[in-house]
Amino acid sequence: MELEEEVPKQNYSEKEKGEIFNQEFLPHINSMYNFGYRLTLDRDDAKDLVQDTYLKAYRFVESFQKGTNAKAWLFRILKNSFINDYRKKSKEPAKVDYQEVETYYNSEEVDRQITPDLRVESLKDMIGDEISNALNSLDVDFKTVIILCDLEGFKYEEMAKILDIPIGTVRSRLHRARNLLKEKLSEYAKSMGYNKA
Amino acid sequence: MNNPTNPFAKPDQQKPTCMEMLQTILDGQATEEQRKYFKMHMDHCMPCYKSYDLDMSLKQLVQSKCCGGAAPSDLIEKIKQQIEQKSS
Repeated sequence: MELEEEVPKQNYSEKEKGEIFNQEFLPHINSMYNFGYRLTLDRDDAKDLVQDTYLKAYRFVESFQKGTNAKAWLFRILKNSFINDYRKKSKEPAKVDYQEVETYYNSEEVDRQITPDLRVESLKDMIGDEISNALNSLDVDFKTVIILCDLEGFKYEEMAKILDIPIGTVRSRLHRARNLLKEKLSEYAKSMGYNKA
Repeated sequence: MNNPTNPFAKPDQQKPTCMEMLQTILDGQATEEQRKYFKMHMDHCMPCYKSYDLDMSLKQLVQSKCCGGAAPSDLIEKIKQQIEQKSS
């Protein structure tokens, strides 16, 4: 299992392993649970996913270098566990053709594209549920980049490592994800009459 | 207009797109020099000017509405128990 390729194996005593686990891994449990829940949309599955992630993190603790970015490391394990174990269980959702999407979004055309008709005022009228539901309804790869960037504050470089994709792809996927989110919210705003002048 | 060197320019001197500049600003990954340049850029780029407010509001809203609460209280205990079982 690939976790952190370049880091040589560490040699920790049992006491050190426990310390790393308690001091560097466990403080991220709320973020991990939120990520797990947003991916699975089921509280029990989220618990199982987080539990599996922590067990793997403990098992592979010697691949983790003390004092480095534990949160990014844990997010990477959770994301891989979700793809390898959980996604297979449920029916694989229709795959988006990223090549096509990303070629387009890396092109100059994107700057001339009309963004969804959504106003700042309409956004302010929305309560939490609409935003949360719109985020949850996005395809897994799109909601993941929004969670990592906007909820968890990861830098592009960290996201690239967590997701195993180039930084350029992080940017274009993020851009596409935000536009999709705006489209969803714009539809909602229209249905509620928020966009009327 | 006399354009100063674009601090967003890539190593190969390729011109950055508006999307790339706006994202870098929104996601807090811009340098001071890039922030200054973008402020000036917004004065003559209507799409960027309009997108900036909307995108910033959306980002803040997502942050405030989607950061879920705490993990279930028994989760940490369960994880610790499993680790103890496996290492004993």
